[in-house]
Amino acid sequence: MLISSLGQGLLWAPLVIGVFITFRILDIPDLTTEGSFPFGAAVTISLMLHGQSTFVATMAGFLAGCIAGIVTGILDTKLGIPSLLAGILTMTGLYSVNMHIMGKSNIPLLDQKVLMNYLPESITPDVQTIIVGLIITSIVVGLLYSMFKTRLGLSLMATGNNKAMSSANGIQTDGMIIFGYMISNGLIALSGSLIAQSNGYADIGMGIGTIVIGLASVLVGEIFLRGRNILVRLLAMVFGAIIYRLLLTIAMGLGFPPDDLKILSAIILVIVICVPIIQNRIKTKKQLKQYLSQLSEGEEYEQQSEIRNISSQKLTKGILSGDRE
Amino acid sequence: MKVYDGDFISVIGNNGAGKSTLLNTIAGTLSADAGEIDLASHSVVNKSITYRSRWMSRVFQDPKMGTAGDLSVAENLVLAQSHTHTTSLRRYKKADRWNRYQELLKTLNMGLEDRLETQVKYLSGGQRQALSLLMATLSKPKLLLLDEHTAALDPKTSRDVMEITQDIVTREGLTTMMITHKMSDALKYGNRLIMVQDGQIKLDVSGEDKKNLKSEDLVGLFA
Repeated sequence: MLISSLGQGLLWAPLVIGVFITFRILDIPDLTTEGSFPFGAAVTISLMLHGQSTFVATMAGFLAGCIAGIVTGILDTKLGIPSLLAGILTMTGLYSVNMHIMGKSNIPLLDQKVLMNYLPESITPDVQTIIVGLIITSIVVGLLYSMFKTRLGLSLMATGNNKAMSSANGIQTDGMIIFGYMISNGLIALSGSLIAQSNGYADIGMGIGTIVIGLASVLVGEIFLRGRNILVRLLAMVFGAIIYRLLLTIAMGLGFPPDDLKILSAIILVIVICVPIIQNRIKTKKQLKQYLSQLSEGEEYEQQSEIRNISSQKLTKGILSGDRE
Repeated sequence: MKVYDGDFISVIGNNGAGKSTLLNTIAGTLSADAGEIDLASHSVVNKSITYRSRWMSRVFQDPKMGTAGDLSVAENLVLAQSHTHTTSLRRYKKADRWNRYQELLKTLNMGLEDRLETQVKYLSGGQRQALSLLMATLSKPKLLLLDEHTAALDPKTSRDVMEITQDIVTREGLTTMMITHKMSDALKYGNRLIMVQDGQIKLDVSGEDKKNLKSEDLVGLFA
């Protein structure tokens, strides 16, 4: 169970990193995810069925996602459509595109070799998945880490943080946002491509709920691994993906039917958003009680309760905006 | 209106007179309905803010506007240093660059030199504004725009930041345009004073005339 969620988690890791780039770095909730995930799967599986090599097909899946990201980026920046709506538009449009690519709603692979089959057959499929997942995730994390250490990465982070200041410092903010959408959706499509290979088929409905999975994994990862360093933050996303898969596997083990997985995903997301808020509230209350027991005067009590209100507000806001200290 | 090389212009005027409109049009936040803006012999009218930033820097009124809060002090300075290599694939962190920033931060006298790696959002308003000022001048712009940059600060910090402004502008010989609501600042700093009213320039004095100007004269003009 642990082994299979580890492998699945690693295949989902690019998606979580993609969601992290738009949601945390650019501060945009990007719904294109739901369309670009099956887009990557559809392109990869169709190309493989048409005789392309697995590597080419996987790369094409990634590039297809990049194009989807560019479209959303242009809708958002150049046409001035609000980012949430821009994502919904691309996602909706991609449904038709995916249907055209696949021809029908589900296309299974026949006897084509997927990436995992390139490993020696003596290894069990679960371990094959882990190895492929590890290699791809390491490449993604490595490339992104070096990108964020360059001036380009810094410009990207600055754009998400303060757009007015960035353009005043010569950064082409529109271009940066499009670039962010591009790599984000490329990675999401790569994840779709890998999952399709692992499942052995592409399905038109496989994108449903991916944004919830992505956001939940981002938040789970940030609960377990905190830090300001970009490498830590990227690794937290990989952990988030794995732990999230583990949670789902446990839920399935408890006897939930697969149809209930979507509502479980939604519930997990609600929990991971709420738990830190409640934790902080209890913590501040405890600290306050401790502090108050040392005080005796009623006047100061009032002042303190005011301070408590302010600090608890700040903490709540901090979690949702990804404030890190 | 012509701004000469090395001018330090204070712009005053009552609310709604058009000071901010003037500055925003030069900066590119507002587009001009008519007229021309030339900057270092480039016509920049209706060009993007990004394009103008090659010759122009701006310090905003709100300290939060001029800096990226989630990035560290040093990273903010990197962003400000070069306005033309924003997509370079070179690593930006270099020891000699960090040392230079430390030297520059020391001149601000705000205790920032030990906080290169601190995220800017944890700095005080005064520190943030001083940093904004340093960032705006780091690329040696042809024109520095100061948009009531001390208005959000307490009186003492406000005075400190004005002193820092004066120091940097003199040291680097920057051409500067400063909007201010404080008549005393307008009189004390700069070699030229412009008063805007109803969208027109009502008064434009420089040199000796400006030095002899008194606040009573100006109050009389605020009709």
